[in-house]
Amino acid sequence: MSARGVRLWRRAAMALCAYAFLAPMFYMLSVSLQAEGHGLGGSWLAAARDPHWENYPTALARMGDWRLLLANTLLVSVLCVAGQLLTCSLAGYAFARVEFRGRDLAFALVLATMMVPEQATAIPRFLLFRTLGLVDTFGPLILPAVLGGSPFFVFLFRQYFLALGPELGEAARVDGCGHLRAWWSIFLPLARPMLVTVGLFTFLATWNDLWTPLIYLTSPEKSTLTLALASFNRSYNTAVEHMLAASAIVLAPCLLLYFTLQRLFLRGIVVAASKR
Amino acid sequence: MALTLLATLALSAGVGEPLERPAASERRLVVMVDERGFESWPGLYELEREFEARYPGLDVQLLEQSGAVGQQDKARFLLAGELQLDVTRIDVTEFGAYLGEGALVDLAPYFDADPTWRADEYLPVVDGLRDARGHLYGLPSTFTPYVMYFNRDLLRAAGVDEPREGWTWEQFLAACRATTRDVDGDGRTDQWGVSLTQWLQALTPWIWQNGGELLDERAQRSRLHEPEVVGALEFVRSLLHTERVASFDASFEVTFSQGLFQAGRAAFYGPVGYWETYRFKYIDAFEWDVAPLPRGARAATAIAMTAYVVPRTAREPELAYQFIRALAGPRFQGLLARIGNGAPGLRSAALSEDFLDPVRPPRSEKVFLDVLPSARFLPPLANWRAIGDLCAAELAQVLLAEQCDVAQACASMSRKVDQHLERERARVGLTQLRAGSLELSFALAAAAALALGLASLTRSRSRLERGEQRAALVLLAPWAIGSALLFVGPAACTALLALCEWSPLRPLDDARWTGLDNFARLLEDPTFHASLRASLAYAATSVPVGLVLSLALALLLREHSRWSALTRTLVYAPSLLSPVVVAVVWRFVLDPDQGLLNDVLLRAGLDAVAWTRSERAVLPAFVLMSCWSVGGQMLVFLAALQALDPQLEEAARVDGAGWWRRLWHVTLPQLSPVALFNLAIGLLGAFNVFAQPYLLTQGGPGDATRFVALYLYESGFRRLDMGYAAAIAAVVFAALALSTWGLLRASRRFVHYAARSGR
Repeated sequence: MSARGVRLWRRAAMALCAYAFLAPMFYMLSVSLQAEGHGLGGSWLAAARDPHWENYPTALARMGDWRLLLANTLLVSVLCVAGQLLTCSLAGYAFARVEFRGRDLAFALVLATMMVPEQATAIPRFLLFRTLGLVDTFGPLILPAVLGGSPFFVFLFRQYFLALGPELGEAARVDGCGHLRAWWSIFLPLARPMLVTVGLFTFLATWNDLWTPLIYLTSPEKSTLTLALASFNRSYNTAVEHMLAASAIVLAPCLLLYFTLQRLFLRGIVVAASKR
Repeated sequence: MALTLLATLALSAGVGEPLERPAASERRLVVMVDERGFESWPGLYELEREFEARYPGLDVQLLEQSGAVGQQDKARFLLAGELQLDVTRIDVTEFGAYLGEGALVDLAPYFDADPTWRADEYLPVVDGLRDARGHLYGLPSTFTPYVMYFNRDLLRAAGVDEPREGWTWEQFLAACRATTRDVDGDGRTDQWGVSLTQWLQALTPWIWQNGGELLDERAQRSRLHEPEVVGALEFVRSLLHTERVASFDASFEVTFSQGLFQAGRAAFYGPVGYWETYRFKYIDAFEWDVAPLPRGARAATAIAMTAYVVPRTAREPELAYQFIRALAGPRFQGLLARIGNGAPGLRSAALSEDFLDPVRPPRSEKVFLDVLPSARFLPPLANWRAIGDLCAAELAQVLLAEQCDVAQACASMSRKVDQHLERERARVGLTQLRAGSLELSFALAAAAALALGLASLTRSRSRLERGEQRAALVLLAPWAIGSALLFVGPAACTALLALCEWSPLRPLDDARWTGLDNFARLLEDPTFHASLRASLAYAATSVPVGLVLSLALALLLREHSRWSALTRTLVYAPSLLSPVVVAVVWRFVLDPDQGLLNDVLLRAGLDAVAWTRSERAVLPAFVLMSCWSVGGQMLVFLAALQALDPQLEEAARVDGAGWWRRLWHVTLPQLSPVALFNLAIGLLGAFNVFAQPYLLTQGGPGDATRFVALYLYESGFRRLDMGYAAAIAAVVFAALALSTWGLLRASRRFVHYAARSGR
């Protein structure tokens, strides 16, 4: 096959992929623009001919005070990201750069914690936070991230710091620079792509989390966007159009963030993947 | 650094504080009674204001129950945590469980002391909230008997009489036969006699009409194996499989799609309750109404109801009682009737035009009240959530499978229910765990983990090494504390719970020791085995498929061009969605009647597939859905591809190796560590998949998608059997740890590591 033929095939395959991955989203958008009460019956053509844009303001109004919801969700997400980045980069640095006994065992334990199903530990965790008096505060949402929630991110940081090469930091260490200083002033500045990668993952996970806010938050003034989204999904009835419109609204900031940070986000993964 | 951490901690605790703390002397009443969200809130706020005016110094807190994942989850956590909750709303099918666990406050003293209380102001449904002694524990919110909806236009067109009080199974069958048609003449039925409902409560009327019973009078033994029950289920099955006049698009939990009835393609719909009128108000293409269910050997129907109750963690039971009276009073009951929530339990509201609305369809709302003499609750002394779950797989089998021995399925249901009832009785005699044991196990495990870490870090020989150890100690401290408190502690607590019997409706101190009983039950529980099989099958297909697909995508999109960059973004975009939204979107895509996927298949000239209704098609559907979120894995592969040494591939090219040989011998070996990583992460993800089956299929059809995480959740939070759930968690953990370990061991043989540079 000629080079041109190969290129054509590639383009066709790409177009097919783009369609396959985009179609469900497109479908979601078209249903969100339908007239109320049509469920799935309508076609996207009908939605395109007569788009009900008012579904979006209606959905927004039904979610409650969206400014408050947004502020709460942003606050929680940003604090989670900050905490996660600090703790995971510290731990990742320790696993990559500090020679200590029991390192491999500790690392195996990190991975083991990923295997306990979340639903099983929910109640003991809840009782812990109750004892600490943190129910109906943002504490239970943020603390797990601040205290290095996901072992996966510790792992990513370890990979990244390993990939930076053994020479880095040696000179500084010989000059008497401590690990903490080296982590802060040499390694972290170089780890910008990984900070973005882990930051974005954390942001998405927090932004999209439903169960934790559902269980821990009770006061309406502390509600988050996903909680408001969940109230569209009632047992007997669902206004599908409004629900999907609301989903699209909640999704939009994530898409935006991803588009802006895409390049750095990918670089972080590239470096982590280059070193095993 | 430590300061930053402390500041974050303080901030995270501080920002959540309520703006105005109630003064110490102020009283609080916590109410969680969400009624179909939006519309009822104004009424609730009004009650709140009135109450606060009536009782100065009282602060009424209205909590949202929230839909989607687990309507009752929040109440469970509040009760388990001994947190104040004064009024809540429960489904009457849960009443037995709440009563049995001692989770409700007996309201009889308050009713007795109240001169304004008159039981006859309420319809007899209120008796469904009494215990064996006749004590009343709550008041009805709304209720609905199961009835039959019908499409008046379709019946008229087929020349069939409208159903009337006293119509029979034979007349029903005849009407269904007359209305089942192939309208567009393509050889496939597209207009059905009836769209049938399938959950236990909806099937119960058929059983009762045929003279059968679910349980014996004292709710001690199952009667599901008796011929009347078998006969009733055989009749329903015949509608679907022999007569072929029924379709099966109606299931309770899934209400997103417009059903056949709504689309004007089914003459009857039922047995089902009043709640559907809310959805059907949008129908303008035809006229519809409701009728009593057809009668068999006797007339009978089941009642669904929700009720306001006072849970045991109430701090203000007297005020809670007053609030319940107000909720079940004329004004709020009228509001609920106008919203269309169901029939109000208050007689005056039920007989008012708020409920018997002359304008809004259905025309015959009165049917819902007229059938009450022959309507019954499921026997109140049993945990119907648990029994319904136990029977779900067999019922689905009876109704959906092409081949099925109904008598055998009934016998198996009966056996399971008997076992359940027996265990419920035996529970009472178990010894209580010493108070505080679970907390102690938590603290001990967390402390032990920390101590172990400390010990292994501080024991060193040389000075230099000691310095390194100290550095590691400082660097790892926040993460180690977090792991000990949030993973190790809870895991130890769960491990101990696995040896106990405990319901989240009871205080934690009331856990009862059962030893290895939970594990013994796991060995014999066919549902658990099915669930394990489903999870294994899902992991065994979705993980490799995802791996290959993501690799293929990465290879396709690795070149640097505008097009591939754009496509990369599009492929990754679905991974940004929350699992809840993914499930919702796919609910639409997979819908067997109007979904996108079947639309595409039909256009390509292929047959439509009953994705979410067929035991064989549902797993592929889930695998397909998992493919949609493959973007993350693709990125990892892409990243690895970009980090490859281009010289190796170039050298192979110069040597004349073709595309395939280069891929197989040069590229893939270099990718193998990344592939292993994706494999391990994919495996963990596949075993933890929860939101999708929960929202899409509820584990069905049969047990085909009752993956372990879902079964664990159902056991703990729906059936309130937390010890059993903990035992499942232990097994899942062991299986995952073992398989990951095995994977890592095996990987040494086929994973190629580049010569290590540096450490």
